[in-house]
Amino acid sequence: MPKINLTRRQFLKVSGASLFLAGLPLPGFTKDEPPGTISVILLEGGMDGLTAVPPFGDPNLSRMRSSLTPENYLELNSFFGLHPSFKYFSGLMAKNNASVIHATNFPYTKRSHFEGQNLMQGGGLNPFSEKTGWLGRALDLAKTPGRSMSLDMPLLLRGAHANDNFFPASIRNSGSLKTDLINMISNAHAEEGSSMFKKVSKKSTQQDSVVPRDPASLARYAGKAMAIKGGPLSSVIKVDQFDTHASQGSDEFGRHGERLTVVDDIIAGYKEGLGDAWDKSIILTLTEFGRTVKENGTWGTDHGWGSAGLLAGGAITKSRVISKWPGLAEGDLFEKRDLVSTIDYRSVCAACIENALGLDHDLIADKVFFTPSLPRIYDYIFS
Amino acid sequence: MNEHFRIAQKLGLMFLPNTTIPEDISSWAIAQLHVKSPALGIKQVRWHSHKPKVLEWPQSLQPNLQKRDEMFWALKENMEKNRRNMPGFQTKADKNRNRQENLMEGLDALKFAHRNVYGEDQLRLRLNAFWANHFRTANIFDNGNHIGHVIEEGILANLNGDFSNLLYKVTSHPAMLIYLDNTYSAGPNSIEVQRAKRNGRQAGLNDNLGRELLELHTVSPTANYTEEDIKGAAKVLAGWGAEPGRVSGDKLISLAERNKEIKKRGGTLNSWDYFKSDFAEPGNKTIMGKTFGEGKGALRKLTDFLAGHEHTIKYISFKLAQHFVSDNPTQPDLDHIESAWKSSNGNLDKIHTAVIERAIASKEPKFQWPMTWLFQVIRLSGANGFKGWEEEQSDDYNENIMRTNQIFEELGQGFWLPGQPNGYSSDKSEWLSGEMFERRIRFATSLYTAGSPTQKVENIINRIGANKSTRELIDSVNGNQKKFVALMCSPELMGLKSA
Repeated sequence: MPKINLTRRQFLKVSGASLFLAGLPLPGFTKDEPPGTISVILLEGGMDGLTAVPPFGDPNLSRMRSSLTPENYLELNSFFGLHPSFKYFSGLMAKNNASVIHATNFPYTKRSHFEGQNLMQGGGLNPFSEKTGWLGRALDLAKTPGRSMSLDMPLLLRGAHANDNFFPASIRNSGSLKTDLINMISNAHAEEGSSMFKKVSKKSTQQDSVVPRDPASLARYAGKAMAIKGGPLSSVIKVDQFDTHASQGSDEFGRHGERLTVVDDIIAGYKEGLGDAWDKSIILTLTEFGRTVKENGTWGTDHGWGSAGLLAGGAITKSRVISKWPGLAEGDLFEKRDLVSTIDYRSVCAACIENALGLDHDLIADKVFFTPSLPRIYDYIFS
Repeated sequence: MNEHFRIAQKLGLMFLPNTTIPEDISSWAIAQLHVKSPALGIKQVRWHSHKPKVLEWPQSLQPNLQKRDEMFWALKENMEKNRRNMPGFQTKADKNRNRQENLMEGLDALKFAHRNVYGEDQLRLRLNAFWANHFRTANIFDNGNHIGHVIEEGILANLNGDFSNLLYKVTSHPAMLIYLDNTYSAGPNSIEVQRAKRNGRQAGLNDNLGRELLELHTVSPTANYTEEDIKGAAKVLAGWGAEPGRVSGDKLISLAERNKEIKKRGGTLNSWDYFKSDFAEPGNKTIMGKTFGEGKGALRKLTDFLAGHEHTIKYISFKLAQHFVSDNPTQPDLDHIESAWKSSNGNLDKIHTAVIERAIASKEPKFQWPMTWLFQVIRLSGANGFKGWEEEQSDDYNENIMRTNQIFEELGQGFWLPGQPNGYSSDKSEWLSGEMFERRIRFATSLYTAGSPTQKVENIINRIGANKSTRELIDSVNGNQKKFVALMCSPELMGLKSA
């Protein structure tokens, strides 16, 4: 049992993220290995795309949100900037290893966190219609079931039966796991409990190093695991607290900026952990909605629709800001308040699956997203 | 398990060792709705000696709401003094002392755990946890002194009244107003917004609580309300909530000055009845076709309207059934609870009685939440699972038992952790993962090795009338520690199906 004494500061940091790994090829599995790895950073609460990637070229930006827009932004091009929290990500942009999709999201406009989170993970046509997640279904189709890692199993990864999870425990006096005991407990349970204890049993036979639980360390750990031949092909890290209705802040020290720094650290952690496997990796962010264009009365923003998606990884060979900009004037907004999503983010997810798992777009559109007509935008991202 | 323990597990927290088991378990369960227990707990866990004595929590560790607000203000004022490099606020010891003296989240979490472990009102505590989860008020910022208060004084103290009263009490409580950002929300036509415009400041509406009041606390999205309805609810709520931290901008002030300022803004020091007229939206508001007037009284009218709404009844009846009866409640389960709700106009005793009746009638095992399971196995085994109140805040704490909120963090569930307002799922599919199950093994092991259980495995299985599967499991492993862990992680005690 690794003894980790967390300070309160670390303890708080820890609660900001959790990690999931998935898709370990089964031993004896003979199909050609999929071409790459796919990692998702779940941004819970609704990331503000206009703060993360401010469209400075739009004259309405500063008019609509005076206290929210960072002054020390990093320049991407003549129209878009990058939040100062994204120092590492901006370096990847400069090296042609990262891109931004802007004015994008899932086609869900009702602004509920919980319906939105269910859809962004489940990838279904209606809230709560799916018991499995789009990434789980994709891994299942790619026939790469296996291990995954975290405390709970997010909906996003459900659907590939052999997925497992990892999240380092820190419970005093709990000793080491006794495989024989766990096997007996597993045998006593019916399938649903038994299959979970089997995963514990399997873990008890493996030597895991002590892993700190801060988001960057989790990402580094995930990257390392994915870099090993026969290791997991997919991982998920969740970052919470993007729901900044009040005192959102503008720069890297604000409530939203501090969360964006966590995302930046995670991407850096992945890069370090992946090593050479970076070249075949793609990392993408996912959030349930963007936030209102206009600042609300409490120095924050309410639930909106369109946001920005960040992509990073060696699978990208040319950095771009991919956008069909809808505008920020009142007449341009959805219901006069939200940034319109002009790119269906499911197409972005599909392109990343196609790139990493080598599945055909039509198959992904049909079996993963239940939308045969889903546009293919692969070439915009990966050419 | 025998019928007594089956019901104690499904609805309650298990009978403590040496408790007389009631003969008629169904009547006992319903009578439990009225059993009151003071907050019982332990002062210290003494190692290698006698079991700690169960005592009432000292009044000095249970400050009232006004005192809690003042403590939170002092916490922030002292942090400001730290920021200004003032002596007496700079060392690690200074900072720890500030937290120990002024922040309640650790002690409140411990008191909640103690109540669950030592309390005599086990069924009420389960309902308390259900409603605390329904009305989740997580600890993201500025809420460390309020969550314990709303759980105990807002929810536990109001479990025998009407749902409408519970709804109003929780909606107007600072824990909720702070968590869902209502404190600074101002009506678009309020005096505050006009004043802000003149002074080049910013002020306006925040719809966070209005939205969740409809979506999560009452009617749910099935009611097909609109953004305008959400905005209407936010306008009714505008004005509610007291400033939880400092109130003096650049100036450092005394407590008397702070209280004067708080009273000036809201007319009272009572943050549970705190309405700033300057922030309120004048005029009528329409929500789901019904019109509400202006002023402080409109909130009660709104919560009463929502409390009695058909969609609220359906939505919460389902949640209650899913938590206590079955992951997939049957139509008769739902009908029974809904009909008790309707015929009693939302009386919680009647609603809870209906839930108890269906939970007893259904023989299905119900998977237990991590925290509920932990309380149950501690009660069955007589182990020490939580610190004493003298140890929780102390720097010199007992190394054998973790701080309470760290225990909850490791379990993946706790009301003092950050989290989303939809609370924890009662559906077991959300809890099935290898890591979650590993935590059960680890906590059971730690209770055995460091918790000095008073009850032997053999005594426990005889007392609860463990089934054949559990007995065979225990027989199949060697050694007292393994037998203990096997029992606690058996399908029977986790609320899962046996092989």
